Amino acid sequence: MKKNSSVVVDLLLLLLAITVLATPAFSDLVLSKVERRIDVTSQIARVTKTLKVVNSGSESVSEFTLTFPKFLGNNLAYLSVSHSEGKGKAKRSLANLSVKEAHPKGMPDSISFYSVSLPKPLSKGDTLTLEVVAAFTNVLQPFPEKITQRDIHLVMLQESAQYLSPYVVESQSLSIKLPNARIESYSKLENTKVQGSEIKYGPYKNLAQYSYAPIVVHFESKAAFAVAEKLVREIEVSHWGNVQVTEHYNLVHRGAQLKGEFSRLEYQDRPNPQGVSAFRHLLARLPPRAHSIYYRDDIGNISTSQMQSDSKKTELLIEPRFPLFGGWKTFFTIGYGLPLSDFLFASEGKRFLDISFGSPMIDLVTEKLIVQVVLPEGSKDISVTTPFAVKQSHEIKYSHLDIAGRPVVVLEKNNVVPDHNQKIQVYYKFSNINLLSEPLMLITGFFVLFITCIIYTRADFSISKSSAAYLAKLQWDEVLATLQEVQNIIQKCLAAHDKLEASLRDLSRTGDIQTCKAARKSTDSLLKDLSKELRPLLASLQSFPSASQISPKVEELVAKERELQEKLMAKHTTVVEGYEKKSSGRDIENRIASQQQKIIALRQEVDDLLEFIDEI
Amino acid sequence: MYPTLSVVTLAIGLVITAFFYICVLKISSCWMFIEAFGPTLYVYYEATSSRKNRSLGKELATAAVASVFLGFGSLFLLLASGVYV
Repeated sequence: MKKNSSVVVDLLLLLLAITVLATPAFSDLVLSKVERRIDVTSQIARVTKTLKVVNSGSESVSEFTLTFPKFLGNNLAYLSVSHSEGKGKAKRSLANLSVKEAHPKGMPDSISFYSVSLPKPLSKGDTLTLEVVAAFTNVLQPFPEKITQRDIHLVMLQESAQYLSPYVVESQSLSIKLPNARIESYSKLENTKVQGSEIKYGPYKNLAQYSYAPIVVHFESKAAFAVAEKLVREIEVSHWGNVQVTEHYNLVHRGAQLKGEFSRLEYQDRPNPQGVSAFRHLLARLPPRAHSIYYRDDIGNISTSQMQSDSKKTELLIEPRFPLFGGWKTFFTIGYGLPLSDFLFASEGKRFLDISFGSPMIDLVTEKLIVQVVLPEGSKDISVTTPFAVKQSHEIKYSHLDIAGRPVVVLEKNNVVPDHNQKIQVYYKFSNINLLSEPLMLITGFFVLFITCIIYTRADFSISKSSAAYLAKLQWDEVLATLQEVQNIIQKCLAAHDKLEASLRDLSRTGDIQTCKAARKSTDSLLKDLSKELRPLLASLQSFPSASQISPKVEELVAKERELQEKLMAKHTTVVEGYEKKSSGRDIENRIASQQQKIIALRQEVDDLLEFIDEI
Repeated sequence: MYPTLSVVTLAIGLVITAFFYICVLKISSCWMFIEAFGPTLYVYYEATSSRKNRSLGKELATAAVASVFLGFGSLFLLLASGVYV
């Protein structure tokens, strides 16, 4: 009640001030027709005005002034003026005109002025049609201010039935669109009609400058008065193909405050649930092809959410952990990823990110919006283009695989309404070579690991170079090396034996004695060479004291191998002679039978010894 | 695209790392436990790696190639799991 009376007093003072101060002539424009429509179905009062401006003076005018009473002007969140041509269905809206706040001298303080620059000066006698869209927050005052859970939510709107303007108005009308619910009361002036849920005031004819007729409408609002006290939107661009958006919300219900208790029983009672003033759901419209959407808060994931996506948009319906009544607060985080090709474009050697500015939630008013655009490391020449005024600043963010940090453009704006959810562009320069710095860092990391490994295996970590243990270790290394070579030679000898056997089999298959003899001769010479190589190795092996247990075994191996050699040679000669004398196969078999058995036994022993040496 | 790339590059990188370890550990004459690897590999490398200086170049080359593949493989693995670095 107090607020109401103080505002009315303000308005009366305003009228007085206007009549007392003889207002200097603003240009001689005349508004021939003014149509105003106020939509208060949501928590924002959206006013759409169509003004027909006629220049009845003698000079051409290039500026137009819009006025609002101060209590509305302070809550003005969004104002856009465009001029249109045509009538009715053929109406076309042309470009938006630039609007600036103005403070003309000698004007009373209780009026806010906005100056619109016309596209071309309006000459004498010409008409122009202007479309003004203005959105006001906090003008729907909850009345009563504190309600219980059972009460309905009543709000009050204060406006003027006659259009406040510095120009003479010939004809005007006002229609207020209320939500489809109870209308508690409204001011009754002349020409007032109620049609369904619309209240029409007017038409009023031939009003003077600055005419003002205050009206008050008291009605029930079913809209969710969701206001985000602070919203931080972080948009991180990664050239590997993703734009990650993370939004942190601090939400509060700015309607009538809840007094008394909250009873869950009454809230969930069917068929009469009590608690119409609360809201449970929030709907967010995300761009299409949004992926990896999460909805969480400090406690953890919030599972009460639904998502529906199609080719034009992705709709996310979220439900906070509890219904929000007047004065209640909640906080949560929403994050989602977007494909880079939808949002990053190139123009004139620069790249630019084209992304929406405000919150994706419909019908959400944000008191303080902070948008942080994080660009990849190495971006230069950063500039931002916005369709409305924002406060800009720069920061640095350190993230994965960063050397110098990523540049961040911080945009701040207060009192943001869904009309502000337009696209902004962030321009920057980035060369593709900077993209390689990330894998290069990983590659160097792995390479350092490998180098450490190499150094460790090669470095000599012994403390004393003349200690007995160190010398013994050195000797043992040499022994092993010699053993290795002995093994190699023995393997080669065995390979030669196998060749000999193979030649015998060939002989039995083809009967070619000459090749067989030739094979035997070559194998013989090879074996002689190998035994020559073996001798110095054996000598060096005997000279090592630590190899005292191994050398007898090695000598045994060599001796056995030599025996094997001789036996094989003998067998080979016998078989060849047998073929030359053309004796039968069985004869040959009988002759070499005993030799064959010994050969097999010897071969077995040689293999055993080799295995034993292997295991050292 | 990123998951397939990461699997392929990581696989190649790990195989080359395996070869690197065989080279390096041969030098330090701890070739005992490589025999668990399989007799075929053992016989093959027995013949190739013997002297110290000749192998340093080969080791460095193997390390370089392995670290390139492992580096790219781990980058694609990070991208495939959603950490867009």
